[in-house]
Amino acid sequence: MSEQPQASPQTVTLTIDGRQVTVPKGTSVIEAAKQVGIEVSAFCYHPGLTVVAVCRQCLVKIDGQPKLQPSCQAVCADGMVVHTADDWSRGARPQMLEFTLVNHPIDCPICDKAGECTLQQLYFEHDNAASRMDVPKVRKPKVVDLGPHIVLDAERCILCTRCIRVCDEVAGQHQLEMKNRGDHEEIATAPGAELDNAYSINTVDVCPVGALTSKDFRFTMRAWELMTTPSICTGCATGCNIEIHHKNERVWRLVPRFNAEVNRHWMCDEGRFTYHKLRTRRMVAPAIDGLPARWDEAIGHAARLMAAAIQKSPAGVGVVFSPQHTNEDNYALVRLAREMWGVTRFYVGGKGPVPERADKILRDADINPNRRGVKAVVGDATIAGAQVLGEDLSQGEISALLVLGHDLELGPEPMERAAMLEALVVIADSEEGIAARARVALPSAAWAEVAGTMTNRQGLVQRLHQAFAPPGQALPAWEIITRLGQASGAALGYGHVRQVFEEMVGKVGELSGQAARWGRETRPIQLRFANSRG
Amino acid sequence: MAEIKKLVLGRKIVEDLDEDQELPSELMTVNMGPSHPAMHGTVRIVLTVDGERVVESDVQPGFLHRCFEKESEYATYTQIFPYTDRLNYISPMINNVGYAMAVEKLLGLTDAVPVRAQYIRVIVSEISRITDHLTCVGASAMELGAFTPFLYFLKAREWLFELLEELSGARLTYSYVRIGGVVSDLTPDFHERLIDLLDKIDGVMLEVEALLNNNRIFRDRMEGVGPFSAEDAIAFGLSGPVLRACGVDYDVRKDNPYLVYDRLEFDVPVGSAGDCLDRYLVRLEEMRQSSKMLRQCMRDIPAGPVIVDDPRVAMPPKKEAYNTIEAMIRHFKHIVDGIRVPPGEAYTWVEGGNGELGFFIVSDGTGRPWKCYCRSPSLINTQSVSKTIQGHLISDIVPIFGMINMIGGECDK
Repeated sequence: MSEQPQASPQTVTLTIDGRQVTVPKGTSVIEAAKQVGIEVSAFCYHPGLTVVAVCRQCLVKIDGQPKLQPSCQAVCADGMVVHTADDWSRGARPQMLEFTLVNHPIDCPICDKAGECTLQQLYFEHDNAASRMDVPKVRKPKVVDLGPHIVLDAERCILCTRCIRVCDEVAGQHQLEMKNRGDHEEIATAPGAELDNAYSINTVDVCPVGALTSKDFRFTMRAWELMTTPSICTGCATGCNIEIHHKNERVWRLVPRFNAEVNRHWMCDEGRFTYHKLRTRRMVAPAIDGLPARWDEAIGHAARLMAAAIQKSPAGVGVVFSPQHTNEDNYALVRLAREMWGVTRFYVGGKGPVPERADKILRDADINPNRRGVKAVVGDATIAGAQVLGEDLSQGEISALLVLGHDLELGPEPMERAAMLEALVVIADSEEGIAARARVALPSAAWAEVAGTMTNRQGLVQRLHQAFAPPGQALPAWEIITRLGQASGAALGYGHVRQVFEEMVGKVGELSGQAARWGRETRPIQLRFANSRG
Repeated sequence: MAEIKKLVLGRKIVEDLDEDQELPSELMTVNMGPSHPAMHGTVRIVLTVDGERVVESDVQPGFLHRCFEKESEYATYTQIFPYTDRLNYISPMINNVGYAMAVEKLLGLTDAVPVRAQYIRVIVSEISRITDHLTCVGASAMELGAFTPFLYFLKAREWLFELLEELSGARLTYSYVRIGGVVSDLTPDFHERLIDLLDKIDGVMLEVEALLNNNRIFRDRMEGVGPFSAEDAIAFGLSGPVLRACGVDYDVRKDNPYLVYDRLEFDVPVGSAGDCLDRYLVRLEEMRQSSKMLRQCMRDIPAGPVIVDDPRVAMPPKKEAYNTIEAMIRHFKHIVDGIRVPPGEAYTWVEGGNGELGFFIVSDGTGRPWKCYCRSPSLINTQSVSKTIQGHLISDIVPIFGMINMIGGECDK
């Protein structure tokens, strides 16, 4: 993908290693080479950032030029002949690597980046020569606290300046700079500033070595032991594409995954920390009135409570959808409620908006990942929110409530009212909020533990993949809803989440065309064999 | 029994019955194994017997399945060596060598392996072949009631195990070979100790031959038992001593010389009847030939490096890895990502203890194989058991199965 601005639809044709390639005018040589499958080694070049050409690792030979040219900065021209594999440019790479390694500390065994390190990779591929140094290395500070999330090891830094550019260009805040000169040069915070912005951990991702480490992840898990599963960030309505890095049924970090339409290469710090929620106050077994119960007991009890309420007055039965859950979960619920039970009192729950976090970069005020999806699935763009639910509860219009998700912004008084309802059935992953007050609480799998789709604020339907199994006896919400339906005699027979999705296609407006394909199932793979990092 | 009678619903057709020879009897199904002293490793044979005679049999291996092939797809090329140790665990060195050669073929390094390393590989392979045959012959003799040869041969095997332990650090699971060579050079007194041991083992073999070769009981149990014709042996894909006992002159070391076997002088013993006695005699002679090869190797082995000088493949010396960042990275990448093998596929085959041991590897260019298939001679030789034991007495299964020398780890993979 070309990141360069395209001034006109004009194209140029050049030859790289004997292969012709036609690219839009303004494309850099390194990007043109990628199009024909030639990866030119580089440290400072990043497709999402401006070009500085400081590392000199991407030098290539261009016919007619007296010296080797940095391919990240050289712009393609018509008739240009580029060589990336001739003796001259191939000889330059180990030379540049030797310079880079002169003062690099012998830290791999204790370095968090080891295993996904660009320096390791390029050295192994292009140099592999023994050291010729016999003078001591230049020492620099090892643990520099740059801000709330980042620690710097100045010795490991290879001065590519990617982190400076991330702060300047992605977060739009100038917080990092270079100081000193020569082999004493190092990264430092700008005068009066610290590395504290909403996108600061992207500096760790772009760092080609282990100079910048995230306090959240450092010294917790070796990168090569992690498994990776693609997914979607559930921190807000933007729906940044992410990779879940997990091991032993536990997430260790979230990193952004490239998507040109949504988040490009980045994600915000807050989104990265959403995984902590996966391990707090989780419900692991169904509960009736706060006491653990078997699944069949709890489902049967919930079905009886709901059936009694529906028989008494269908109008008094409310169903709360969850913008924290997938389209499939909400779709199963809307089928059960509307078609099987004949209930029409629908609300949408979720967390309340946080206007101050919104920016024009990635962060959205709505911190629910699937509000747009819920509206599409329910087929009602004006579906009532938590506030209306609160009023209805206060006025005593509701006799029974089936709630998906524990996030429900109710005031203390309506919450108490809800707790006193004859039937309050909650399907949620954490024992919080309304889930803690439920007559019947049914534990559901959280986002990292399910396969499904979510619709982001742009209307893009994006896939979540299951990284590992849910804790305890928790089940995916669509399966709980299916069981609940079956227990109340409804003809709901989903066996796999894919069936729910395929039934949804065509019925739900946004699920058409490209979005109507379920796509391949992705299983977790070992990060060291995924070739996605470093 | 000349011919197996036809069976109808598990009963003999009455017309076929020779009333003078045998009483009418009902067929019976019995299990031999999976846990039985004479069933090496763990294998189950479901026998349909007519009295003492085997009418039909169903050999069911697989109880020792370790997922060798699947596990290999999740390990780096170097991490697979310990898995290969556990294939034929009586002669692990040959497995190491065979596997390493397949990877080297993919890397285009076959000719780059230093000559000294090639000699060392032959030396350890032939020592392993001797340990393999010692175990097979000793155990088979024991199963026929001759306990002394077993003790003599296992004593001799232990000498060789100790020698290899000194070389590799492990008594049984050596993991001594590396891609591009071997992990370390021979120990300083290896030469003297090996020659000394070979002399001693020659003596032990003479003793055991004196005990067995003209022993009435042993010969009665071995001679004419489980014969196999050359045509059948080839049709079944047999290889190794079992094939050569049938009179087929095929030995990978002669017919497709690898490493430095073409520089060595040795003979390939063949049998004629293809019965258990021939298999026993072929194995004994092969030990003598191995001993001869080892003496030649120790005489001819040149000095030099024991692993190829290629940073893509060989690990840096430990001293450098601890003291320079360059070697540290190299070491790290070798351990974590594994050796990058170019995409392609390769098959190599070597003469294992029980026959042709092959490794077929498909690489997708990453640090681990996309597919690692093992042609294990034990599995293919075991296929013939069902045919061989047909018509024999139950007690004949013991020498027949013993002489096939099924090794569970290799057969079940």
